[in-house]
Amino acid sequence: MNTSSIESVLRISNLRKNYGKFEVIRGLQLEVARGAIHGLVGLNGSGKTTTLECVLGLQANDGGEISILDRRPHQIHLNHGRVVAIFDTPSLNPNLSVYQTLAHAAMLCEENSRRIDEVIHLLGIEAFTDFKIKNLSLGNKRRASIAQGLIGNPELVLLDEPFNGLDAGGVDDVLRLITTLNHEQGTTFLLSSHQLPYLEQICSHIAILHQGQIALSGSKAELLNEANTILQVRVSDKELTRELATNNNLSWIENSDPELVSLDIGEVNPAEVNSLLVTNGIAVSELIQQRASLESLFRQITSGEAA
Amino acid sequence: MNGFVVALKSELFVSLRTLGSKLVVLMPSLFVVAQYLLTKLRDTGAAARDSLLGGSDFDAAMANNAYGHFVDGLDTGLTLLALLLVAQAAYSFSSDRDSGAVRHLLIRASSRRAIMLAKLLHLHLLALLSLLVLVISSYVLSGMLWEFGAVVEDGFELIGEDEIQQEIALGLRLALLPLPAVIALGLLVSVVANTSTQAVVTALGLTLVLDIFKSTLGDYGLYLYATYLPSLLDQSYLQDVGRLVRGFSDVLIDQRFLDLNNWVPLPSLVILVIMMLVLVQRRRI
Repeated sequence: MNTSSIESVLRISNLRKNYGKFEVIRGLQLEVARGAIHGLVGLNGSGKTTTLECVLGLQANDGGEISILDRRPHQIHLNHGRVVAIFDTPSLNPNLSVYQTLAHAAMLCEENSRRIDEVIHLLGIEAFTDFKIKNLSLGNKRRASIAQGLIGNPELVLLDEPFNGLDAGGVDDVLRLITTLNHEQGTTFLLSSHQLPYLEQICSHIAILHQGQIALSGSKAELLNEANTILQVRVSDKELTRELATNNNLSWIENSDPELVSLDIGEVNPAEVNSLLVTNGIAVSELIQQRASLESLFRQITSGEAA
Repeated sequence: MNGFVVALKSELFVSLRTLGSKLVVLMPSLFVVAQYLLTKLRDTGAAARDSLLGGSDFDAAMANNAYGHFVDGLDTGLTLLALLLVAQAAYSFSSDRDSGAVRHLLIRASSRRAIMLAKLLHLHLLALLSLLVLVISSYVLSGMLWEFGAVVEDGFELIGEDEIQQEIALGLRLALLPLPAVIALGLLVSVVANTSTQAVVTALGLTLVLDIFKSTLGDYGLYLYATYLPSLLDQSYLQDVGRLVRGFSDVLIDQRFLDLNNWVPLPSLVILVIMMLVLVQRRRI
């Protein structure tokens, strides 16, 4: 992503963080442009939450620079509510009701351009406003958590695993909400999540965190266009197919299925591959072109480790 | 101070809507009320027995003097208040960190130090309110159940009401001086502990350990703020005042004890607050 000409709301350079002798973050670089919906994906334990906590000043980093709305993380409160975070656990006072939680959040913001009732309506939590947080289901706690995050009309919203605990309707609501706020009010989002299909659906930019560093970062369109096309073919003779693929510069991807072949065909037309196999006496019973997706890209980078 | 006022408003907002703070304010007084009722019941039984068997007039007069009961009530209430305050202080920050609620305050409005200082002030306000309720309820109820008056024996006034009131005021003032250090100790533990349960248990444990140590340390115990606090192993002057106003003791406070009582708690408070403010900067929240 070329962000040099674009205003960045978050800049992380050479971030380092250790837990004892274990180096979780090793020189992480990331820029989030104003107005972007930026997805941060990574395996379990890859350091997504640690990165967000360092950005928010909740824990100290061991090296590197972070600038969030032109302030250091420990000065984040000086942004007076222009930055908010919604965490993987609801992070709300369990003894307050939903309405009290929102009123409390409103008290913390310098400007409250978004009213409590408006946020309640946006998140569809009208039925639970008098419930104490501790009595809510996980999904509704998460809705309440998102609702309190949206009080005060923030410029930058950081969300850590925002879809955890939400049912399908809840996920749709959150996706719609993020898109609407981004399009209508220019709110910038940084989302850390395992839910790759959801991120692919709404993100304008993606960063893949692997082994403590950003392995790949850029606009979604660029990344997916640059990604290789995978062809899955069910064939009668796998060994002969491997020989043909090697001779014709098609990358072979190991596959345990005795009849299924996975090929990285790059720019080659799938029809040509089909023709090549058939003319060499290999029966093709199934041929699927796998479009590059965030998930395939992610799997390529993390080398087959489970997401 | 960045966000101090917002942090204080946040504390008050939560405090007014949750049970913990209300317990700190009301519980010492409720215990004192229970103590008075039980004492009155016991005294009534004892008076009935004495009238049948013939008892000491002086003992009966002293048992009927409200000042003694008033001081006993303050002593009990302050002992309980100190325990409640250290527990509430320990719970205060650690529970906010457990739930994650403090994160929003930290991100949106206040620095870590501002949050801790707001909590410190908020707990002092709670203590003040609780003390006010305690003093008023103790005074009114002891006045209703017994009679305020001078200590008189055989027609001679041993201790006048003015003197009694002065000694009670002195005893109360000296007993209150260590309370801020109690609050600061609770908050320090709250910052250091990993969970709210651990924080409360550790803070109460430390309070009891200090209470035991103050008597085993001998003269060195005079340099512990806990020595001057009404507690389970009470060495505070307020306990002496309880005996004094009943005419059982005419020993006034030792000047050295008075000086140390005046000056030991303040440095303890300052040290504990500085440690708290330094350590909170390093904590993962």
